[in-house]
Amino acid sequence: MIFVAVGTQFPFNRLIEYMDAWAADHNEEVIAQISDGDYTPKHMKWERFLDGEQYNKNIAEASMFVSHAGMGNIISAREQQTPIIVMNRQFALGEHRNDHQAEGLKWMGKLKGVLTASNQEELFAQIHTIQSSNFSQMVCPSMTVGNDHLSNYIADFINE
Amino acid sequence: MSTKDINKKTKILAIASPGGHWIQLNKICNPLDKQFDIVYVTPGAQYASAGKSARKVLTITDASADSKRKLIPLAFQLLSIFIKEKPKAIISTGAAPGAIAFLIAKALPIKTIWVDSIANVSQLSRSGRMVQKHADKVITQWEPLSDGKKVIYKGSIL
Repeated sequence: MIFVAVGTQFPFNRLIEYMDAWAADHNEEVIAQISDGDYTPKHMKWERFLDGEQYNKNIAEASMFVSHAGMGNIISAREQQTPIIVMNRQFALGEHRNDHQAEGLKWMGKLKGVLTASNQEELFAQIHTIQSSNFSQMVCPSMTVGNDHLSNYIADFINE
Repeated sequence: MSTKDINKKTKILAIASPGGHWIQLNKICNPLDKQFDIVYVTPGAQYASAGKSARKVLTITDASADSKRKLIPLAFQLLSIFIKEKPKAIISTGAAPGAIAFLIAKALPIKTIWVDSIANVSQLSRSGRMVQKHADKVITQWEPLSDGKKVIYKGSIL
């Protein structure tokens, strides 16, 4: 199963349309969280919003997570050790208030287990990359080590 | 947990702007929650403590380096929070309000720990550069940005 999510703040019709087109051509279950977008999928199961529990369950069960370029979803994907493809919203297309998601792709793409795309062609290519490789090798075995290390360092410094 | 138990813990302030800065601050502070009494401070009114929420979240005025008119009320809000809460340390992931808090805290016996946003890959953020000389710790989440002395790398939230 592939899980698609666009966040709760804005619609992201373009990503939903691309994934609906992909789902039409492939024999794979796709579930999408579409926010208040006016494009409603024909080839995917969809919900506008999901509660946190169902949301995390979908990420955990998915073979890959296709998302808008939001930091929260990258964190969730890595907590569940699910590979994620992020596609940025574009300010020029009225998809966000500014272009920080395009900027975001630069650092997001440096993380293990995170692939980036900015159009349909790149998105489909990245889905193929995950499907055709042993992607588990690309995902950090333990996502929380770096975070705990950082927090412990800060705690020690405060207690000094 | 009784109020008495909470009072035994060292109090720290955690300051961040809404969005990515706030998400990162939470990732850093969640593991510290057992050990410290954490008071969150943010210009994002949507995160303010609601009724039964166990977490204490204080709302401040938003200001960037470009909105000088808002700096004065923000400075007074921060100063009054510092006086009331008497934190031992402040942690911030940015952006401008965190930097301004650090500049005020410099005059007080409060440790300041800056964790620069993970979004800044090629150089420290603008607010990070602003506090670089004043903060007690400046931490980058990207190893290449560390100089091993003033700007250190100790892992990342991801």
